[in-house]
Amino acid sequence: MSGTDLLKRLQRNDAEALASLMWLYYDDLHNYGARFTTDNALVKDCIQEIFMSLWQRRETADTILSPKFYFLRAIKNKILKSLHKNNHTAFPNNEYNFSYEMSIEQIIIERHVNEEKLQKLRKTLELLSKKQREIVYLKYYHHLDHTQIAELMNVTRQTVYNLLHETLHKLRGLLKAEFIAQ
Amino acid sequence: MKDFRLFDIYDFLTDDDFIRWVQEPRKEDNEFWSSWLLQNPDKHLTIEEARRILQTLAPRKVTVDDLEKEIEVKKLLDTIGAQPVGRPEAPVLPISRHKKWWYAAAVLLIALAATISYLVLNRNATVGKFDYAYVTPSKQLVENVNSSANPVRLVLPDESIVELGAGSRIAYTNNFDSSQTRDVYLSGEATFTVTKNPAHPFRVFANEIVTKVLGTSFTVRSFTRDSIIQVIVRTGKVSVYSQENTSNAETGSPNQLGGIILTFNQELVYKKSNREFKKTLLQNPVVITRDTVDQKIMLYDDAPLEKVFAQLSKIYGVTIIYDDDLLNTCTVTADLRSEPFYRKLDLICKAIGADYEIIDGQVIIQSRGCGTNLN
Repeated sequence: MSGTDLLKRLQRNDAEALASLMWLYYDDLHNYGARFTTDNALVKDCIQEIFMSLWQRRETADTILSPKFYFLRAIKNKILKSLHKNNHTAFPNNEYNFSYEMSIEQIIIERHVNEEKLQKLRKTLELLSKKQREIVYLKYYHHLDHTQIAELMNVTRQTVYNLLHETLHKLRGLLKAEFIAQ
Repeated sequence: MKDFRLFDIYDFLTDDDFIRWVQEPRKEDNEFWSSWLLQNPDKHLTIEEARRILQTLAPRKVTVDDLEKEIEVKKLLDTIGAQPVGRPEAPVLPISRHKKWWYAAAVLLIALAATISYLVLNRNATVGKFDYAYVTPSKQLVENVNSSANPVRLVLPDESIVELGAGSRIAYTNNFDSSQTRDVYLSGEATFTVTKNPAHPFRVFANEIVTKVLGTSFTVRSFTRDSIIQVIVRTGKVSVYSQENTSNAETGSPNQLGGIILTFNQELVYKKSNREFKKTLLQNPVVITRDTVDQKIMLYDDAPLEKVFAQLSKIYGVTIIYDDDLLNTCTVTADLRSEPFYRKLDLICKAIGADYEIIDGQVIIQSRGCGTNLN
């Protein structure tokens, strides 16, 4: 039973389908939500609200073409909105925190890298912009396509493409310098 | 279909199929990529680098504890006023990505099968059941890969010698004695000097063709990327078969050469596109006789053409066909002692006012007869 099938059942007032949808997308929603805030309770509340509103608009559930994209967009909007409300901090010009650490552990296990080089690598990865991190995260963790990433981040597809390539280029140079030429 | 050979590292890093292989390797992906790498050994470094970068970019999936999820689901159902239903029905799989891929893979497989049957039906197969990558994994073979830029010399269990070309690989059973034939599988280029053993024919499987010998020296050149397969014979005799049209028993039978027979200084070119064999002479035929006297006699003064052709034929092991009725009055005056084969042929033809053609590995002399003004 796919997410789209569940949405069709939801349209026929099937509350079980709603439960299944939540079960199905909970991990992804929670993971994305936690990138914007460390407040776990807030993330959970937002997820509850998203599914409640979905239940309320269940008659039009068939207009949702990609459930995963729909939920990811919903959690982002909801969290940024409530962060804005609670903390009275504005996010002008699409500015918000986004934390995402790349997994350098994998390489560390494979290759014997000393602590000094590791620190250097970590620092350089930290130099990536929040936008670059989010693109990498949406592409390689959630496997969204470029159009979906662009829409979710409120930028053009070309920007997604450019930032992605810039990031890959940077990362490649970094890994080369730190690990190949040691 | 995508042509991964044209991909640079950034194309790989952003390609969904490639990403899937690195992140969630499946059996069919592993098979695809290992055979692809076999066919594109120059891409090993790129693939490795791309894999390493991807591993950095994508951590493992994090999941929320099931109990916690259950509480949240119950809470939701309470809120909307529905009866609690407990844990929602199995199978709630993490489907979105996997399943989609499954379908895509299934479609791809069907498309691939269709493509293959289309190609086979059109007698134009480029990927096939005779490919090195397809044939070798099923057999227990010893493999040698020459990834260096220079040929490498190997000695096979029967003492036959292989000069394995750059970027080539060869596989064979550890023990030739156990079977009727001495079989080797080749992808790339190799020159063989085979020990004589007529009871156990030596066979080289190179994609669509099999070359069988009883004992001789020859080269097979069969790179997957090339559109042709070549077999070049230096000494002795070999026979070449198409794998498609020949039974294993026929190519495996001892003491018998069938198929297309190649001898000294001949080359066979197999065109993959139309599955056509073409026999020709080597670009620079070598003298096959050790008798240096034969070489020295090629100084002619008004010698009968018949005698000149006979000697040329003997020295190079090349058949020369001409109309002796038409040319019986021709004589040749020339010093052919130090000229290479084709230069000799040119000089003779010029002397008698004739042309020559290489057809089916033989020299065919075309002439309207000799005039009176000969030299």
